[in-house]
Amino acid sequence: MQEFTWPGRTAETELAFDLEKASLRREFEQRLEECGMLAFRVARGVLRNAADAEDVAQEAILRSYRRFARLRDPSRFRAWLVRITFRLALDHGRSARRRELRETAWATDLPKPTAEDIAASNEFGRRLQDAMAALSEKSRLVLLLTSMDGHSLEEVAQLLQLPVGTVKSRLHSARKQLAEKLR
Amino acid sequence: MTCEEYENALLLAAASKGELDAKLARHLERCSTCRMALRTERELFSRIDSALRAQVNEHPRPGFLPQLRLQLSKELTARPGSDRVWHVAGAALALVLMAMFYPLVNARQSIVQGNLQTPTIQVPESAGVKQSARASEHLGVRTRHHSKRPAVQSAVPQDPEVLVPPDEQKAFAQFVACVARGDAIAQAVATPAASETVNRDTELPQVSSVDIADLQLGRARQEAWIDQTGSSE
Repeated sequence: MQEFTWPGRTAETELAFDLEKASLRREFEQRLEECGMLAFRVARGVLRNAADAEDVAQEAILRSYRRFARLRDPSRFRAWLVRITFRLALDHGRSARRRELRETAWATDLPKPTAEDIAASNEFGRRLQDAMAALSEKSRLVLLLTSMDGHSLEEVAQLLQLPVGTVKSRLHSARKQLAEKLR
Repeated sequence: MTCEEYENALLLAAASKGELDAKLARHLERCSTCRMALRTERELFSRIDSALRAQVNEHPRPGFLPQLRLQLSKELTARPGSDRVWHVAGAALALVLMAMFYPLVNARQSIVQGNLQTPTIQVPESAGVKQSARASEHLGVRTRHHSKRPAVQSAVPQDPEVLVPPDEQKAFAQFVACVARGDAIAQAVATPAASETVNRDTELPQVSSVDIADLQLGRARQEAWIDQTGSSE
């Protein structure tokens, strides 16, 4: 099938368009490894299992590819990717929680887990997740990004396009709230 | 200072991981309870940080990036050109649909507006009126009959109504008056052209100004008005 061409668009402009697209694709693929990992980690910080985090990261990467031409500036692109991944992960987490509630509603009269069961299921990790879920989205994102390897406060500030002081105060407030909930 | 007053300072010190405030440090040297509290707080923060780091810095499956590349190439092969074709096709379809439905919508709106804005003239049932109704048909003026609507029948008058655009109401009222009086030109207009010819030399009748309100009177007053205009000649 002959490829569609816009009226008035010559073969030269088509070629230029294709070259531009190929260049964008190469540029995106060069960043894919770094960005894929960043997206996965942000998603993993929100979601309770790695498989869900992979799905969310994949969706975020595909979306970011569609917007790549407009977000070519690396710092803007990373900031956008972090935000879109975080938002998608939150949405995914909420719908997963609703699904979980629906599916377990019938099983409320099952025997309660024993102390050994709770200990075995990493009680602290579960409580931490619950405490994280209660934080504001802004504080939560700052906490996640500062916990990632290789992200200094300055880098997080740049990523979120915020002053370093704001990042510091959000981080402090988030850790304090977590400690109060987990004490 | 009592230990309770250092509570917040202890929490800050544990969270900040920095050097202790000199005042707090002096208190801690003397107070074993606060030293213990600081240690517990620091342990808690340390557990939080390490749990968070472990979670956030987890590595994805080895197949994650290859799968991502595969999805991306699928996305790329699905997109080139075809989406533009669909955009154009969609736009063309939208235009065709608009062209199809615009006259329908427009006609409907004009009917609705006509019903709302155009006053209806109650034409009296006399010989002249029958002619005027026929003349209206010839002139393309819509007449409305409600006989086939039993539900509305009681609310709508039984007499035939003629819908006249607002800018032609006065002229139409004069025309109806002429027909009612049996003026030659009006008769000629109302009668089919094939059977009769109009004498072009006929002098135009001088019609007194008739207002639309005059034709919207009750039937008795309309008949009286017709009699009056007929007898005045």
